[in-house]
Amino acid sequence: MTDSRQQGPRRGKGMLEAEVLALLWTSTTPRTAHWVQVELGGQLAYSTVVTILSRLYEKGSLSRVREGRAYAYLPVADEAGLAARRMCKVLDQESDRTAVLASFVSELSAEDEETLRLLLERIDGPAEAGHHEG
Amino acid sequence: MRFAVYLPMILPLSALPVARLAVDHLHPRTATRLLTGVAAVLALCSTWCVALLVIVGSAQVPGNPLPDGWGDPGVRDAVPHVRLFGSLAMVVLSVVVTASAAMLLRDRRVRRRARAAIAALPDAGGLVVIPDERPYAYALPGREPRVVATTAMLACLTRDERRALIAHEHAHLAGRHHVFLTVSRLAAVSHPLLRPLRTAIAYTVERWADEDAAAAVGDRTVTARAVGKAALSAAKSGAPAASALPAFAARGPVPRRVAALLGPPPTSAWPAPASPTGFAAIVAAAGTTVSVCATANAAFALFVILKASTAL
Repeated sequence: MTDSRQQGPRRGKGMLEAEVLALLWTSTTPRTAHWVQVELGGQLAYSTVVTILSRLYEKGSLSRVREGRAYAYLPVADEAGLAARRMCKVLDQESDRTAVLASFVSELSAEDEETLRLLLERIDGPAEAGHHEG
Repeated sequence: MRFAVYLPMILPLSALPVARLAVDHLHPRTATRLLTGVAAVLALCSTWCVALLVIVGSAQVPGNPLPDGWGDPGVRDAVPHVRLFGSLAMVVLSVVVTASAAMLLRDRRVRRRARAAIAALPDAGGLVVIPDERPYAYALPGREPRVVATTAMLACLTRDERRALIAHEHAHLAGRHHVFLTVSRLAAVSHPLLRPLRTAIAYTVERWADEDAAAAVGDRTVTARAVGKAALSAAKSGAPAASALPAFAARGPVPRRVAALLGPPPTSAWPAPASPTGFAAIVAAAGTTVSVCATANAAFALFVILKASTAL
């Protein structure tokens, strides 16, 4: 298989920034450029990762602390937390208000869930699919 | 004009077979464009003919602003059963107009409020992350399009699955899928027989984004797993989703999307005319063409009749 990661049309600078931000949000502690480089699969140059992190820091998406000779980065959570609460309000109110919206939200039916589990088991093996049952 | 004015109101029937077959047998991009085009034209024609009936039907209502000559028996004779259907058309048209306006206003309100909620957040390549225990993600179209994902959604996926998720939402934005969705929902509001097309388009749009995401990450299995895991995780937490925003794995036939991604990639080739899908597409195209012709015929005939009666 060819490595389409390098040639995918959407994997431009923007896509990389998005991936780095998404990755750092899954971490609870500040992370260095080296950690990010490894977690992203090690295909990106260290300097590229540093550039992306600096850009996100300048934009205000990330905060950073000194960790030895390098910086460790963490997503800025204050404003994001407020945004989350505002968004919850929007989604809750709007889905309560109209039947059209509520019907569109259609959750998975019991059969849907069962079918999905089976499909995922087919990909992953039973162990990992079981993990999702929580 | 005679019965031509009624024809576009039953012709949406001709699109039902293709709505059923296209979802599984056409490339989702082709299916979306075909179904949306057909739905839009059929809806416009039927609504236009309802409006023509309203004109003829209301010309005899006392106090109407139309020229007196329009209520003449000569005009009314041109439309069969205008007494019954003329009044019915007034009700139908007002319902369609009101419901369409209400839908568009609500959509705009949801988008504006969602946009306002994240306005203060810096984005990273169009992505905005919000910390929330409920896993959801959606694309927010607009001048500054945004992909919104919660931390819970990102956390339940692996690195490659997260890339598939982001690529899926970017595909919604890049393909302007919300336009197809809005058009299909307006069509469904204007004619009940077009509702199956709306349902089909809601599905093909997700499939389209799935295929684009699979192409972007270069792995259909990873994309399938991302969709499946996201849906299971959302189901477990009862996460909200909004109809005005194309959501990731939040609705309906998710297992079909996963199964489709695990199957062979769709071909862009047009189906043979003799195949059921090809035949259904031809039927829909013919129905749509007849609908346009009938509408044009009815509109022209009425124009001529009204012009003549106004001159008298």
